[in-house]
Order: sequence, then structure tokens, then C-alpha cells
Amino acid sequence: MKTKLYIFLFFLNIFSISIFAQEQKMTAAEIASFKDDVNIVSKKIKTLSTDFIQYKHLDFLSKDIETSGKMIFKEPYLLQWQYKKPYNYSIVFKNGKILINDEGKKSAVDIGNSKIFGRINKLIVGSVSGNMFDDKEFTISYFKVKGQNLAKFIPKDATLKKYIKQIELTFDKEEATVVQVKLLESSDDYTRIVLKNKVINAKIDDSVFSN
Amino acid sequence: MQKSTIQYLVINSLLAVVLFSCGSVTKNYTPKKLDKTSYEVPYFSDSKTDYVYKTNITVYGNELSGIFIAKKINDTTHRIVFTTDFGNKLFDFEISETTFKINSIVSELDRKILINTLEEDFRLLLKNKYLIQEQFENDFFNIYKSADKNRDNYLFLTKKDQKLEKVIHSSQTKEKFTVLFSSENNIFAEKIQIIHQNIKLEITLNYLKSEI
Repeated sequence: MKTKLYIFLFFLNIFSISIFAQEQKMTAAEIASFKDDVNIVSKKIKTLSTDFIQYKHLDFLSKDIETSGKMIFKEPYLLQWQYKKPYNYSIVFKNGKILINDEGKKSAVDIGNSKIFGRINKLIVGSVSGNMFDDKEFTISYFKVKGQNLAKFIPKDATLKKYIKQIELTFDKEEATVVQVKLLESSDDYTRIVLKNKVINAKIDDSVFSN
Repeated sequence: MQKSTIQYLVINSLLAVVLFSCGSVTKNYTPKKLDKTSYEVPYFSDSKTDYVYKTNITVYGNELSGIFIAKKINDTTHRIVFTTDFGNKLFDFEISETTFKINSIVSELDRKILINTLEEDFRLLLKNKYLIQEQFENDFFNIYKSADKNRDNYLFLTKKDQKLEKVIHSSQTKEKFTVLFSSENNIFAEKIQIIHQNIKLEITLNYLKSEI
């Protein structure tokens, strides 16, 4: 029994060491080269579609809440975020409007020049394409993680800060594209979105964004 | 003169008794001898279960969609969180029969009248134990009356399988709001509706099955 406990503690130790070893600050040169890589890739993006799995983590729950679906983006500002499981819910950003289709129940919100929604749109597109480094609204720090790069964005604006404490984008090192978006709220709760099956620059018709 | 006064008093007090005991909720139901003095609600009672629901709130024609989460965190208290579909928290409360704590709420929803309404709704939704003072029946339900401060709750249990399908929260004269439960196994409610009679507010909860 005691041996088992020691073995357990031993592994726990290794595990926690590896956690601490995971994140390594990038040097200035590494930051510059990483930003270049991402900018080159994201500038080429005319359309992007990707499957996603969203994990909502709340500290008091025993299990993360999982939802999943598909995201489609087309330059410059067409965006569809579609949940397929366990329910159908789709939201389209198009020409200053938000179109919602909630299990067949449709509604539209005119956001016109609403600054906050313009920002959200920019934020979602930026998060998925990775092109957020020029954003003056965040304090950004850069890390290396095994086989991946990690950028942490802390909002400067007080209003945005109320909703999002920090955004973490994880990039595949080779492809320089985003593989995970993590949105941390003011408390220790977060939303983690894993992007999979990404397709860049396939032909996407505008009619996709009709909802 | 005296006789007519007494008659008047008798009629008046009879009328009062009739009005008082029948109220608006039970006027179509038959009084019955109590078969229990308390009732424990199975829904939301398990501290190991994450109660997660896809939720639609309709308030004066406006729609708000999101995810409602409730968890029993100790013997008396539930933590309740409402997030958008994207996962942003809109509010985060801790609620018991006697206490109410706001952990967080977005400024757009931070209105006293709305918070008070939600507090009242969720307290009834999560209420675990009712003490019963009166009982009624109709063809399908046993109806139990339970005092709630200066108001009353009426619990509708099916005669067939003793499932709680409806709770009406009512003043002496008027129904305030109703909670409807649909449950297959009488342990977990798959669908819940909270419907207000005096304001245009309806909350619909559908169990979010998490397997993907």
C-alpha cells in the first residue's frame, strides 16, 4: 500500500515537473521569427473552414461541457459559427448583422456600427487565423511548448477585461496555424476550443453565410 | 335586526373561508385527506450530478439563448451558472432556501428587478423539500398545498406514477408563476419550463446530453 503511494507520488512529481517545464519564454529573436511565420500564413488566408470541439470548464463541475461544430470564414468579414452537437445553433456575422438559427428558430440582430460586436468579430477571426499580433488592445507574451507555440493576450481595455481575462492561442509549430483557443474568464473558469480538420482557401460560396 | 346581522356575518365568513381555502388555483379540485405531510423533490437533488441544460429565455419578445448549469454544492445550496452558447458566463449565483449570493453578473443583466425575479424562479426550481398543509385532487393529479411565507406553492403529482409535473407559485388571489417538469425516470427532469403569469417571461430548459 505504501509502495503504491510512493509510486503515485513519484509520478505526480514527474508530472508536475513536466508541467513547469512545459512553458518556456521565447527569446526576442524567436518571437520575431514566430510572428513572421504566422503572418505569412494568415495573410494567405482567403477562406478557412474548421471543425471544432468546445470544452466549457467550470471549476465546480465534475465534467467539462462539450459542444462541437464547424466554423467557416471568408474574407473580409463573413463568419459562421455553427454548433451541431448536441444541439443545432448557428450564428452568422454578415454586413453588420448577426443572424441566429436556434434549432430552426431564426432571428437577426442589427449591430450596425456596434463597436463591441465589430471587436468580437475581429477577435474570432483573429483567434482562428492567428493574426492578432498587431492588435494594440492586448498585452502579448510568447512561449514555447513542446512542439507548439503559445501566445497569451491580455486585454488592455476595461470593458473587454470584464468578460475575458486572457486569450491563449496555441499554434502548430510547422504549419504556424492555430490549433487551440482558450478563453479565460475573470475567475478560474475557461472555454477551450480545439480546432481540427482545417481547410484553407477552399472555394466557399457567399450563400453559405445565409443561416 | 340581530338575526340578520348574524346571518350576514355567517355568510360573510363562509364566503371568506371559501375564497381563502379555494383561491384561484384549487377551485376546480376536490379537497382530500392528507396522505403525506412533506414531499421531497428528486430533481436537482444529487450532489454528484452536473445538471446542464440548453436554455432559452424569452422576455417581452426578446430571446436569450445559452446554457444553464446547476450543481448542488452542499446540503442547502446550489451553484447556478448561465453562459452564452460560446461559453461566456452571464451570471453565476449561489442559492439556498434562505440565502442568495451573486458571484458574478454581466452589467447588461445587472438589474435589481431581473435579479429578484431570477432568484425567486430558481429558488422554486431547486427547492428540495415541501411541507404540506392541504391536499386536493382531480382525475389525474394529487395536488398538495405548501405554504411559502405569505404565498403558497401547489405541487401537482401524477396519480399514475407519483411524478412531480407542475408547481404553481401563487398569492392568495393570483398565480404568479408555474414550473413544469417532464421526467422519464422521476429522478431527472429532461425538460423544464418556467412560465410567468404576470410578466412576459418564459424560461425553457432542455437537458444537454453531453455525448458527442
